[in-house]
Amino acid sequence: MMHSHPIEPQPAGQAPEATGGEYLPVPWSVLADYRCFGCSPHNSSGLRLRFAARPDGEIDTRFRLGRGFESYPGIVHGGLIGVICDETMGNLLVLRTGLTALTTGMRLRYVTSMRIDTDYQCVARLLPGGPEAGSTPAGVGGLVRAESEILDADGALVASANATYRPISMDSARQRMDLRPEEFDQVEAVLAATRLTSAAPVAGTSH
Amino acid sequence: MTPSHDDIVRTVTEIVHREIGIPVDRLAPDLDLRGAEGADSVKVLVMISRVERTYGIEIDDEDVFTLATINDVVRAVQAGLTAATTV
Repeated sequence: MMHSHPIEPQPAGQAPEATGGEYLPVPWSVLADYRCFGCSPHNSSGLRLRFAARPDGEIDTRFRLGRGFESYPGIVHGGLIGVICDETMGNLLVLRTGLTALTTGMRLRYVTSMRIDTDYQCVARLLPGGPEAGSTPAGVGGLVRAESEILDADGALVASANATYRPISMDSARQRMDLRPEEFDQVEAVLAATRLTSAAPVAGTSH
Repeated sequence: MTPSHDDIVRTVTEIVHREIGIPVDRLAPDLDLRGAEGADSVKVLVMISRVERTYGIEIDDEDVFTLATINDVVRAVQAGLTAATTV
């Protein structure tokens, strides 16, 4: 069932304000100035997506994009559809397994074009066969598959995507990312806590 | 377990019915969907996306707009399932 978010004009890239603080805190938000293009509220040129839990272990995000994300006049650049699907599936994976993962492949099916200044929703779910919620480090190195779709306000399909992710170990993540050791320790603690709490389906939590 | 031909026909027919809106009893497997009332390129792509995700397969873009009948889609599904299980 779709959440009812109040639809008010939003600045480009902002998700409508949800009621009841039902947005899930992504683990990286523990860093004061993380700049993820997809979900950081500190990145003024980013998408600043926020995610809400859905009862069946899925998550969704709602968004409307302004002219800053245009390709043809009035039409959102198709590359953003890939970013949004990847971001939503990727965050679902982190929230469900507490693992950091890299995208290894993604396939998009564009059904129709996305309009600027129009409300859309992206829903993502993990596909069976990957490491389950609360996965042990054994999940690292295995592949996780997920799928997502972007729907318009009427629920009509705009695009669908499926992707494969490879969870990486904390040591590997530590080497790849530009984080001071103490910053990484903060993130690792949150990811570990995510692993513990994510054994049950992802439930809405307030900030 | 690979679904039978008849299972695939049934499932694809249901998806075509739901996405394009043609009554099931008028959906003969050899009916040319391209000229069917209510069928447009967006609905065809929605139908294809649904079929791909139902079977976890990928239908080549070159084939998407040449699939004319339910039989064609069924063959594409079978080819996709074969490709998915071929190591």
